[in-house]
Amino acid sequence: MVRFKNRYVLCEVLSDDPRCRQCIEERAVGLAVRDAIGRVHGDYGLACCSISFTVKYLNAYTGTVLLRCRKDSYRLLCSALPFVRHLESRNQRYPCALNTLHVGGTIRTCQKFLIQYNRRQLLMLLQNCTNEEERQCIQKSLLSCSLTEEQSQSGDEEDDDGTE
Amino acid sequence: RRELPDGGARPNAAQFKQLVVTALRELHGEVGAALPVDVLTYEEKTLSAILRVISSGLVKLWSALTLLGSYQNRTCAFRVLQTSPFLLALSGNSRELVL
Repeated sequence: MVRFKNRYVLCEVLSDDPRCRQCIEERAVGLAVRDAIGRVHGDYGLACCSISFTVKYLNAYTGTVLLRCRKDSYRLLCSALPFVRHLESRNQRYPCALNTLHVGGTIRTCQKFLIQYNRRQLLMLLQNCTNEEERQCIQKSLLSCSLTEEQSQSGDEEDDDGTE
Repeated sequence: RRELPDGGARPNAAQFKQLVVTALRELHGEVGAALPVDVLTYEEKTLSAILRVISSGLVKLWSALTLLGSYQNRTCAFRVLQTSPFLLALSGNSRELVL
């Protein structure tokens, strides 16, 4: 069987600046990652990784990004991700960092990992939160997320709005 | 051994190494520029040099030198005369050996 195999890299955008969340867009993140690959691996690396490179999924509330690339060049991409330092959009630059969470062969495996990861994050937030209202908010979203898979995603978004 | 034809002022040894590292940086980025390349000998008259590189980096070095087009806004080209894992083999060409 001859087919093009892709690797999907799941990363998280970490930033100290709260305004950075608004400028997390597909185009901005894609340009920042391409620029970093060009700096680290030169023209050859940039061309190699750009063959099938796209930002497949983006969640601005949680800062989750899913990138796709060819299986032959995913190591170049993963090694260049720590060199992404700024996100630029609308003439504003914000310092940020990309944390790699998971590398998978299909979108489905990445989604499964993301659901489990979000559940663990909710539990950790429940342990760490100090405010009583936040506690109730998180408990409500936790209870609602144990029912179906779609609700866990919306429960996570609710929780992030509450803690920000 | 490498030979480069040129038009005007000749680079000295340090500038030659800078040229090689610049070529690597353009094609292979910071990772390429960090490849340990040594200039063992350099003759300014003939503009030829012997470079040493780790064997896993030979492909990157050769491709970077092939694609380097300009030095100080003048066109130039690298010509690779001989490559070998042994330094002694570079001293003579066994095809032209006269017995």
